[in-house]
Amino acid sequence: MTKRLLRLVPLAVLLLVAAVTSAWASHAPDRLVLEDAFCPPSLARPLGCGEAGVDLTSLLGHAVLRGALLAVTVALVGFAIGTPLGAASAMARGRLERAVERACDLVQAFPTFLLAFAVLSAVRAPGRMHLGFVFALTAWAPFARLALAQTRVLRDAAFVEAAYALGLGRTAVLFRHVVPNLLGVVAVQLGGTAAAVVVSEAALSFLGFGPRDGVSLGSVMDQGVASMLRAPHVLVAGSLSVFFTSAAMLVAGRAAARE
Amino acid sequence: MILRASRAVLVRVAEAAAVLLVLASLVFFAMRLLPGDPAALVLGDQSDEIERAALRAKLGLDQPLWLQYAHFLRGLATLDLGESLRRPGVAAMGRVRDALGPTSELAGLAVLFGAVLGVGAALLASGPWLGERRRHVDRVLVAVAATPLLAFAPVVTYALAVRVHVVPLPGDPDAGFAGLAFASALLAVPLAAQVGRVGRAALADVGRAQFLSVARAKGATNLRVWVLHALPPSAGPIVTVVATQLGALLGGAVVLERLFERAGLGSLMLEAYASRDLPVLEGAVVASGGLFVITQGIAALVHAAMDPRVRG
Repeated sequence: MTKRLLRLVPLAVLLLVAAVTSAWASHAPDRLVLEDAFCPPSLARPLGCGEAGVDLTSLLGHAVLRGALLAVTVALVGFAIGTPLGAASAMARGRLERAVERACDLVQAFPTFLLAFAVLSAVRAPGRMHLGFVFALTAWAPFARLALAQTRVLRDAAFVEAAYALGLGRTAVLFRHVVPNLLGVVAVQLGGTAAAVVVSEAALSFLGFGPRDGVSLGSVMDQGVASMLRAPHVLVAGSLSVFFTSAAMLVAGRAAARE
Repeated sequence: MILRASRAVLVRVAEAAAVLLVLASLVFFAMRLLPGDPAALVLGDQSDEIERAALRAKLGLDQPLWLQYAHFLRGLATLDLGESLRRPGVAAMGRVRDALGPTSELAGLAVLFGAVLGVGAALLASGPWLGERRRHVDRVLVAVAATPLLAFAPVVTYALAVRVHVVPLPGDPDAGFAGLAFASALLAVPLAAQVGRVGRAALADVGRAQFLSVARAKGATNLRVWVLHALPPSAGPIVTVVATQLGALLGGAVVLERLFERAGLGSLMLEAYASRDLPVLEGAVVASGGLFVITQGIAALVHAAMDPRVRG
C-alpha cells in the first residue's frame, strides 16, 4: 500500500515545485526584461531567461501547472465517459459490444493531431480549452476498451448473477456491482492518458497551436529550438520539463495498480 | 474461403472510406458551421466587405450548405479541390501531392529503421547472446518508450548538430540524405522501443515452443533458431504494433518537419492553417488521413503474408 502511494510522490513534488516557482511574483511570466533576453542561468534566475527576457523558472512553473491541470481534467473526463460506456456495451453483448470495440480501435489508432487540425481550423487562435476539447474527443477510447475487456470477465461472475436474481435492474447491476469492480484496472490508464495529453499539448503548442500567451511547455520548446545556437539552456530546460511532467503522470497512474 | 477473404477486404475498404469521409466532413463543417466568417478569417479584420463577398463567391460560401458539401465531395472524388488561396493559379491538390513525397520518405525510412532496431533489440533481449545482461535491454526499452519524442529529439539534435557537428544543422538546405536519415532515425526511436517491447513478449511466447527444440536438436545455430524459426511466427504482434503506432508516427513527422524545417505534409498543413488556405488545408488533412488508412491496410496484408497461421 505505502509502496503504491510512493508513486504519487514524483507528481506531488513536481507540482509543489511548479507552484512555488510560479508564485514568484517578481518574475511573472508576462514580465519581460528586454536587456536580460536569453541570459544564462544565475542565482537570481535559476533557469535563466528566454525570449525577450521572460524568466524561465516562473514560465516553466506556470506551464507545468496549467499543462498538468489540463491533462488531469481530460483524463478524468475520458475516464468518466469511457468506463460506463465500455462496461454497458459489454453487458449488452452482441452488436453494440462489437461496435464499441471497433470504434475504440479506430479512435485509438487514428492520429490525434489530424483530428486537432480538422477541429481547430474553426478557431483563429486556439486556447487551452479548445485543445482540451480535442483531446477529450479521443480520450475515452482506452478507458472504454479496458472497461469492456474487464466486464467480459465479470459479467458471468456469480455475484452479478446473484444481483440479477435479487431483482436488481440492469443499470443498478452495472453501476453498483460491475463498475466498482473494474475501477482498479481502468484507473491505471489515467496516468497513461494524462501523460499523453501533456505531450500532445506540448507538441501542438510547439507547432503553433497553443495558447496565445505562450505559457505552455511547447512554446518554451519552440523558443529553445529557435535559439538553439545562442541559448541552449532554454531548450534543455524545456525538454526536461516535458520529460518530467509526462514521466510523473505515468508513475502516478501506477499508484492505482494492484500488485 | 476466397469469398470470406474478399468480404473481409471489402469491409476493411468500406471502413477506411468511412473514416476518411468523417475526417473530411469534420474539416469541411468545422470551417462553415462554427461562428465566424471564413472570408474574414482569410482576409483579416481590416478587409472591406466587397473583397470578402468576392472571396465568398469564389469559395462558393454564398451557396446553400448542402450544395457546397456536394461540390466538396465531388472535388475529393476527382482529386480537384480548386486553387490554392495563398498561391493563386496553383491547384491545391498539386501542392498536397508535392508535399506527400518528402513526408512518405521520412515516415517510410523511420518505419524501416524502427522495425530493424526494434526487432534487433527484441532478439537481444530474448536470445542467449547477452546472458544475464539481457534484462538491461528490457529496462532501456521501457525507459525509451516512456520518453516523448518532443523531449529528446531537439536536445539530441542540439548535441549532435551544434556540439559535435556529425549531422547537418536543422534547416540546412544542403542537408540531403544525411538530414533525411537523421530525422528518420529520431522518428524511429519511439517506434523501435514499442516494437522491441512487443517483439520481446512475442518471442518469449514462441521461445517455449517445441519446434525450436526440434531445430536445436537438428544442430541449428542460435542465430538460425531465433531469426529463421522464432521470428516469423512472432511477426503478427510486431506488424500490428507498427500499424497502431503509425498515427503517432505521422504526428511525430509533423513535429520533426517543423524542427528540421523540412518540406512535407506537416509543414504544408501548418502553412495552410496559418494563412487560412482552405482548399489546401482540406486536401492535406484528407491526404494524411488517406496515407494513414492505406498504410494500416498494407500492415494487415504484410501480417497475413508473413505469419503462416493467418495466411490460410
